[in-house]
Amino acid sequence: MADRPELRVESATACVVTDLGRVAGPARGLAVNGALDQFAARAANALVGNAPTAPLMEATGFGVTLRPSHDVLMSITGAPAEPTVDGRSHPAWAPLSVRAGEKVRVGISDAGLRAYVAVHGSFDVPRLMGSCAPDSMIGFGTHVTSGTSLSLFRSHPPLVNRRFGATVFDFGIPRDVGRVSAVLDAVDGPDAAEFGPGLQRLYDSRYTVTPRIDHVGLRVAGHVPQRSITGEVLSRGVPIGAVEAPAGDELLVLMRGRGITAGYPVLAVLTSRALDNAAQLRPGQQIRFRRTTAAAATAAYLERRRLLDRIALRARTAFAELR
Amino acid sequence: MTDTWTATTVAISPCGDAALRVTVDGADTDRVWAAVHRLAGWLNHGVIGPSVTAVPTYDAVLVEFDPYHTTGELIASHIRAWDTTAGEHEESAGAVLDVPVLFGGEAGPDLEWVAEVVGRPVPEVIDLVCVKEHLIRCLGGPAASAMMDGPDFDVPIPRLATPRLRVPPGAVSVAGRQAVIGPVAAPSGWRQIGRTPLDILRTDSHSGTGTHPDTDGHPDLDTVVPYRPGDRVRFLPIDEAGYADLLGAAMGPRHDG
Repeated sequence: MADRPELRVESATACVVTDLGRVAGPARGLAVNGALDQFAARAANALVGNAPTAPLMEATGFGVTLRPSHDVLMSITGAPAEPTVDGRSHPAWAPLSVRAGEKVRVGISDAGLRAYVAVHGSFDVPRLMGSCAPDSMIGFGTHVTSGTSLSLFRSHPPLVNRRFGATVFDFGIPRDVGRVSAVLDAVDGPDAAEFGPGLQRLYDSRYTVTPRIDHVGLRVAGHVPQRSITGEVLSRGVPIGAVEAPAGDELLVLMRGRGITAGYPVLAVLTSRALDNAAQLRPGQQIRFRRTTAAAATAAYLERRRLLDRIALRARTAFAELR
Repeated sequence: MTDTWTATTVAISPCGDAALRVTVDGADTDRVWAAVHRLAGWLNHGVIGPSVTAVPTYDAVLVEFDPYHTTGELIASHIRAWDTTAGEHEESAGAVLDVPVLFGGEAGPDLEWVAEVVGRPVPEVIDLVCVKEHLIRCLGGPAASAMMDGPDFDVPIPRLATPRLRVPPGAVSVAGRQAVIGPVAAPSGWRQIGRTPLDILRTDSHSGTGTHPDTDGHPDLDTVVPYRPGDRVRFLPIDEAGYADLLGAAMGPRHDG
């Protein structure tokens, strides 16, 4: 049997193998989960020619050190510090050709929280309902720690641009692609009316990101609007990005690992683009919410998805030419 | 036959740019619930597109979608055109699950408190819990919990002021007019009256490897719990010895002989 390519993990702390999420989950009572920064995850896979749903690594807060057994093609996106290969710096948000045995170091920059590592051909990991996304509630998923070896479906011959003798590509990715904004766009929620004029303060106040941030929710401290009407709410499905006001002095923004039902009224809902941004917020950061419309949010989201389409197309074209 | 359906209304509210909340309002809560689940089933069947998924609860469906593939307006127009009564009389009766429960003590730390609120002795409360079949209304968070109609107590049961940080898997709890079985350990503000020794959640048999991510083989769309909305649960009181005997046995529907 030919030895199978693998990615050896020399150090990792809070790192998992994930994908875009368990789309079949919510209808069956499970959270969708998956990469919190969906744009960065999609971009990482696009840059190495993978399907959008291919499993990739998500490193939160701490860097990872990796060593492939074979030549591979990788990409690193999200909020990484400049990656190094055997000590040499390489740009993030670009394909990275790594030779067998070279050491890849991915740090997390001060500007964000999560980095994504995709490898051409992706990882062979267990799936549930078609997705490898970890679900902490049911104890499913592939956690990456020091000493883990991840099986790869295939290796990739070294990619060297004949003109430059190095892996230099321009896929039209804007320079500020990984910038994390302190402003989160949100649309008034389905229960906004229950908060009356007090809702406006959600958009006028400043909030501080607390250390209680994970796949389930992001807690921010600051002014909590109060409902102007009272009464119990029947359990209902709550959207990802829902801004809720449970008892206490913190707002809760639901992330992709949220329980799918809740009895709290929904003040506002973050836009898809704002959710990617929220995934990169760090404790202590000052943020505010900015009111927008669903139509404007969709336009902003489509702009990003079309950018991803262009990246995927250019990557496929470039690799085909170099073969 | 006069159709009381005309007295119900469907309201659609946006939930950000990637979800809609569809609420059904009507005098008959059972018909509202049934309509909500039919609507979700119809949407989950892929009629609008594979990126559209629906989470039904009591009086509402959360519809989630990828705005790259469809729009909230398009989905809303499909829902408005949907025949709310289609299949209303074709629903098959759900399965019945027999669920053994150890009541009180460590397995049900709130049982005595609930008995005080209900104003009846503990054995009578256990009888009330076990006498009826509890209809599973929906699967809720966390992890596909079975959300059921509760026992026929005379009063609703208040929640804990401060939720417990952890209730164990298999906990049977009540709050308001509802009852719930939780498949996994999780925080909860409900009143835990008992615990089943049965294993509820199964993830191992579904987690095959080797499907190539690029070809994305047929995803296993099975569920991780042995019940679904419309099924009914019958609780059976057991003692500590019975609990020990059944610990780790798989929960499943009753097979009537």
